[in-house]
Amino acid sequence: MTGRYALLFVLGVVAVLMASPLVLTLFSSLKPTTELVNPPWYPPFDVTFEHYIRVWNEGKFSRYFLNTLIISTVDAIAMIGIASLAAYALVFIRFRGKSVVQILFLVGLMIPVTAIILPLYSVVRSVGLVNTHLGVILADLALAVSVFIFLFSSYFLSVPKALHEAARIDGATEFQTYWRVIMPIARPAVVTTALLEFLWSWNDLLLRLLLLPRDEMRTLSVGLLNFQGIMTRDVTGLSSGTMIMALPVVLLFLVFQRHFVRGMTQGAVK
Amino acid sequence: MLLDPDSNFAKRLNPVLFLLPAMAIYLVFAIYPTISVVEYSFTDWDGINPKREYIGLANYERLFTDKIFWEAFRNTFVWSGVVIVINVGLGLVVAAMLARVWKARLIIQTAIVLPVVISPMAVATIWRWMYQPKGVVNLVLEAIGLGALKTPWLGSPDAVLYALAFAHSWSTVGLSVIIFLAGLQAVDEDLYDAARVDGATPVQSFRYVTLPALRPVTAVVFILTLTQSFKVFDIVWATTQGGPIRFSEILSTYMYKRGALENDYGYGAAIGVALLVIVSLATIIYMRIQHREEQ
Repeated sequence: MTGRYALLFVLGVVAVLMASPLVLTLFSSLKPTTELVNPPWYPPFDVTFEHYIRVWNEGKFSRYFLNTLIISTVDAIAMIGIASLAAYALVFIRFRGKSVVQILFLVGLMIPVTAIILPLYSVVRSVGLVNTHLGVILADLALAVSVFIFLFSSYFLSVPKALHEAARIDGATEFQTYWRVIMPIARPAVVTTALLEFLWSWNDLLLRLLLLPRDEMRTLSVGLLNFQGIMTRDVTGLSSGTMIMALPVVLLFLVFQRHFVRGMTQGAVK
Repeated sequence: MLLDPDSNFAKRLNPVLFLLPAMAIYLVFAIYPTISVVEYSFTDWDGINPKREYIGLANYERLFTDKIFWEAFRNTFVWSGVVIVINVGLGLVVAAMLARVWKARLIIQTAIVLPVVISPMAVATIWRWMYQPKGVVNLVLEAIGLGALKTPWLGSPDAVLYALAFAHSWSTVGLSVIIFLAGLQAVDEDLYDAARVDGATPVQSFRYVTLPALRPVTAVVFILTLTQSFKVFDIVWATTQGGPIRFSEILSTYMYKRGALENDYGYGAAIGVALLVIVSLATIIYMRIQHREEQ
């Protein structure tokens, strides 16, 4: 069985190498300044949270954190609503021009944000939503809605058609059928959508960099970029800021790992 | 009820109401800008002036003769090459190894997939620190006797592009691994048993059973990695902004500089269209392969 142990050993090395950048950043965020002379792989001997407190209050990360949390939460909830409604129509309701609508949404899977960022900024500016959270939320929704419409559609397609028909024959309206019959059994798709959209929203930089230039409106990504530009040599501050940005999604991932793994393979195209 | 839900009118209205929220947002903030980027690419415009002048294909002609554009194009390709070698090559090997392990699998998989969920901005900060002249990477190289390889990674014209592409790979390889793992689970176990009965070594069964069975999945990961590389912006912008000089300039950073910072909006849009075309084509191929797989 030496082969098996060799395999485990190699994989163990890979795992340690993959984990180390994050672990070392965590170490340096918890070290008192006096311990910075130690090699970075020394764990902190005197664990301190002073850098977190400093960055949170003076570095205004509390503000950035709150802004990011608001945008990501609204994004996730709104996405569940608009994507599931559209997917419901595409799967359960008969109407003319359905294939045109489907193709139109399919196009959305191919549009990279990077390529259209300049005119997107112009649109948001012309409707007066630069420096508002709403502007970022609408742009986020538009750019990812296709992914989730197809995610919900493929889930709805696995629901027996008879269930929908039975509800309609019993006199339920389409909306009642959507809300009371179909959505309760679509919970896995709801969870995947909530997690992925929250994650993408939490992590994005480019859109927020252009759409939220005012400091009070900034998210963690823009705040961290700005902080890094000013406090170039503040190793402990920067690593604490990085952890403030990374830890919430890391915890979310650890709790919902299975959902994330399934969702990320499905939504990989974005 | 104001409206009889079974009336003809309500039946026609239903799909409209269900589709309206998604469609309205999507048309205004995704489709319209996509059409606009093409339109702007035919103009000479600063992005603010209400008047824009149509100049036909002049921006595209400029692209073809713009040395910086081609440098950025080449850099983007080199970047993709590095990431593909790691994500497809190493990703496949690691996934094949993981598939043979039961105990400790979850913890190893967690360590590999975790970087995928971390913000590219945080990834940039982490690696900017790791790559410092006296940073972790150089310290480790010295500690294991490879001190000769020490270099100021992000300040070095030769190393910077590879160093950043490597950081990008660190944060995306986990996705390849889980896609490969899903593909491996679909490989018929009997084929491995047959190979073992025929006296095949593990390496041989990887070569003759695993690899052929995974060809479609490999194509999917390959194209996915390619599109991811063409969409990169954050990691480069938050570390070198394309520098030193232009040694890590990629298409997205060049577009951002021209269009958003230098107000050469029409030209920036033309670079955007180039990006759009490349990524769309790759995505269409991706979806076709995946579609064929599902059938």
